[in-house]
Amino acid sequence: MALLQLLLNGIIAGSIYALIAASFSLIFNIVKFMDLSPGATFVVAAFSAYSFHILLSIPFILAILLALVVTVITALLINLLVYKPLRKRGADPFTLLLSSFGVFLTVTGIILLIFGAEIHTFGLPIAKGYDLFGAIITPLQVWLVIISVLLFVVLFFFMKTTKLGKAMRAVADEKQVAATLGINVEKTTTKTFVISAILAGIAGILVGLEQNIEHNMGFAVILKGITASVVGGIGNVSAALLGGFLIGIVENVGIWYLPSGYKDGIAFVILILFLLLRPQGILGTRTREETSG
Amino acid sequence: MALEAYIIHILIIIGIYVILALSLDLAIGYTGLLNIGHVAFYAVGAYTSALLALNFGTPFLISFLAGGIIAGIFSLVVAIPALKLRGDYLAVATLGLAIIVENILKNWTSLTRGPLGLPGIPKPTIFGITLTGITYLALVIVVGVVTYYLLRYLIKTPFGRILQAIREDELVAKSLGKNVTKYKTQALLISAFFAGLAGSLYAHYITFIDPTSFSILESVLIISMIVVGGIATLKGAIIGAIILILLPEALRFLPLPSSMIGALRQIIYAVLLVVLLIKRPQGLLGKKTEGVVTT
Repeated sequence: MALLQLLLNGIIAGSIYALIAASFSLIFNIVKFMDLSPGATFVVAAFSAYSFHILLSIPFILAILLALVVTVITALLINLLVYKPLRKRGADPFTLLLSSFGVFLTVTGIILLIFGAEIHTFGLPIAKGYDLFGAIITPLQVWLVIISVLLFVVLFFFMKTTKLGKAMRAVADEKQVAATLGINVEKTTTKTFVISAILAGIAGILVGLEQNIEHNMGFAVILKGITASVVGGIGNVSAALLGGFLIGIVENVGIWYLPSGYKDGIAFVILILFLLLRPQGILGTRTREETSG
Repeated sequence: MALEAYIIHILIIIGIYVILALSLDLAIGYTGLLNIGHVAFYAVGAYTSALLALNFGTPFLISFLAGGIIAGIFSLVVAIPALKLRGDYLAVATLGLAIIVENILKNWTSLTRGPLGLPGIPKPTIFGITLTGITYLALVIVVGVVTYYLLRYLIKTPFGRILQAIREDELVAKSLGKNVTKYKTQALLISAFFAGLAGSLYAHYITFIDPTSFSILESVLIISMIVVGGIATLKGAIIGAIILILLPEALRFLPLPSSMIGALRQIIYAVLLVVLLIKRPQGLLGKKTEGVVTT
């Protein structure tokens, strides 16, 4: 029935929001500001994959890898040219947030200049969907959900077991202490931007393959990623998965009750409610000084 | 004559943005309320004024003031998160709020006609004179000058000094027995009122409004204006508005398709904002301080 279809649509959308939320959370944890640039790297990845595969006819897997390389280079340049000088000066989180908005608009502006405002598509053959008690899910959508969940498993073990993951958590907890223990904070920060960009980039490519691509596809996605992150528990990477699925499901099932035009508004109402009533999110523990003073 | 009309048009647009930038500077610059959703007040003012004029034929002065008042009342809704949240949490909440407002304008079709917009908003008539061109410019200048002097007076009063104390250190203001919540609400209310007036001026000048005129990009533009001019300097807000409206106008004379001009405008605004934040966070006129706002 239709409600099950909406639920499925919610899970599919949610797995994208979860990836963006993880991308956002990593930077929030380690660099301590709300970064909108995952919205930009998301778009860069989708358009690079499209350019390499469709415009330059490079084989699919190679095109995806090249697209991720372009995405990572973009993130490194953003960090080097904008965030690093600002961090050096000790800029406050609002200045960083505002500059990330500028970065986002610059990147999407450049993409608009190159590719125009029209919608582009990979034009993949439409595979026959699986019938799940009357709801339809395409093989690509199944892959999308699987890849997203798998990435979370990898990310979870990466943060828990690898040296870099541990360094990232140390810097997130206490920068000064991490530095005295011999962790190179600047290098760890740079690597965080790389991992964050890969997550956002994969999300962008998945959305590009599954739907269409256009220059302004990143804005709603980053805002919903932030919402998912706040709802799950900001800064908690595993909570991003929970928050992502929750936002995806609520906004899709919500249009069962509301006109579909309100779909985008639903997520932000939830965002504001959570910021007011439970700023630490579902899984978070309360840290007072961060939210109210 | 076409050139004269064009110059008058640019001056009117500059005037409307001067009012927007001045009003936002009261919230961000003087009170430290990091409001990214200022465009929502602008939109509420524009729609209120236009709907009153279209549906009830109210005289301009009444719909104009109603635009400001309803935007002010709406700010009380925003005040709820504004009072509880600090710093970048407030920034994200106001960003969300602006998107909700845009969403409602697009979807409440029985009231706003949604994406079709509201055409045929009457040009204002004051004392039997219909204002167009140069007379409209005069109206915008009068409102702009009043806004400037009122805000300049306000920030010098004890009320204004308390706002700045809240910006510098909320805890100190609180410990001196100041009702921080009340002052923040009032600052936001005044800021929203003037943004609402600017919305009304825009609606009755262009005579057509639709949700795309009030996208979140407008908020970024207004914030850029006060950052360019120097945060917490009223003269800076004026200079910022002039620079940011004039700068992309030069693009108009390049032989480029309009879609590319739109992209270039966006890039110019965004790059300018980022470069200024890095190189000169205090803006062109601002005094030297750390960062944009101390939170």
